Amino acid sequence: MSVYISVISFLVGSVLGLLAYFAKVGTSRVLSRISGAYIEVVRNVPLLVVLYLIYFGLGQVGIDLDPLWSALIALSINNGAYVAEILRAGFESVPGGLREAAHALGMSSGQTFRYAVFTPGIRKVFPALTNQFILLFLFSSVASVIALPELTEALMTVNSDTLRTFEVFTVGALLYYAVSSVLALGSRIGEKRLFRW
Amino acid sequence: MGDYAQFLLPLAKGLGMTALLCIISAVGGSIVGLLVGLARASSIGFIRWVSAIYTNLLRGIPLLIILLFTFFALPLLIPGAVFSKLACGAIALTLFVSAYIAEVVRGGLESVPRGQFEAAEALGMNYFLKFRYIIVPQAMRVVVPPWTGIILAMIKDSSLVSVIGFVDLTQAGKIIGTTTMLPLLTFVVVGAIYFVICYPLGKFGRWYEKRLTVSLGRPQAVDLGPASTDLLAEEPLLQVRGEK
Repeated sequence: MSVYISVISFLVGSVLGLLAYFAKVGTSRVLSRISGAYIEVVRNVPLLVVLYLIYFGLGQVGIDLDPLWSALIALSINNGAYVAEILRAGFESVPGGLREAAHALGMSSGQTFRYAVFTPGIRKVFPALTNQFILLFLFSSVASVIALPELTEALMTVNSDTLRTFEVFTVGALLYYAVSSVLALGSRIGEKRLFRW
Repeated sequence: MGDYAQFLLPLAKGLGMTALLCIISAVGGSIVGLLVGLARASSIGFIRWVSAIYTNLLRGIPLLIILLFTFFALPLLIPGAVFSKLACGAIALTLFVSAYIAEVVRGGLESVPRGQFEAAEALGMNYFLKFRYIIVPQAMRVVVPPWTGIILAMIKDSSLVSVIGFVDLTQAGKIIGTTTMLPLLTFVVVGAIYFVICYPLGKFGRWYEKRLTVSLGRPQAVDLGPASTDLLAEEPLLQVRGEK
């Protein structure tokens, strides 16, 4: 369950982040403002508060969401803002001359982004993105608060069933640590393998 | 007016608790983080090894698990000890934050060229003098921006202590939301309060970073090791051109 919600919210969040990035750097002032406000608000408000807002708050206006949907929405919104920031920082590190050269070669703006921003930039963005995924995985534990049966919630249940508190939480901590270590290792290997240009 | 008092007073109390918790953890986490960061640059292999395990382990475990661990398991480890919820929250946050700060401190130390250490030693400076006059002023520039990012993240993460029943800002919001039946409004207000605290801090981090870029005449491109990427997520080392 922890892995499931992390993967889904990472994918949805990444799409959201990409859209927010385009809106932020785009020519439309209004879109840029909206996207900027979205990024700033999400980055400055705790995930838990957003989660409560969606789970408890929306119920007040008649939108009742179950814990799974609430968690997915909250984590995706959260992840989207961070991904947008990562993309912006990474793509901005690509020298502007490359973009100008692409224009000079008569590329369309789509082609320019594809070849002169995305391709050279993704190598710098990749480690930050995988790191964000690890952080997201660790933060998915917060979803246990609204009784979503993921890893932390399972630990709480096992704990109250067996009362072997120390063992239960040690195992839980090690499980999280193992998964995040494997992800970090995979990221490092992927970084070397995927980007050879 | 009575309604507002009923609404705002508990929130103000919760805010005070959040502030208290954050100040304790920020100071504690910075001190522990500094020590662990220095230990990672130690000349003794064993100390380096222990501090590396400390940072890697804590960075790979969710704060919530650390928090539950200190709340449920710590009293079992130290029989007879009674921890208040504030103490549990402060211990968990301090541990969590110190690991991230240690990584930043290590990055800062590594950003100072070897020659500077050697020059200080050649001048006959002792350990304290060397750090006070040579290393710290140079490392500070690299350490401060990500440090503010970590503290900012910690303020947001402190909302998790509500899970163990500590009445911080988030928990106060939850209680009020239930009693007044206005959860939407309550959580918007709570979110706004967090925003008002965190936003200026983030601005300060970016302002400091920009000042730094100007004083160095070029963007700082320091490799902070494995930590650099998640710092990027909090506070990008790279700046937007002409940001607001």
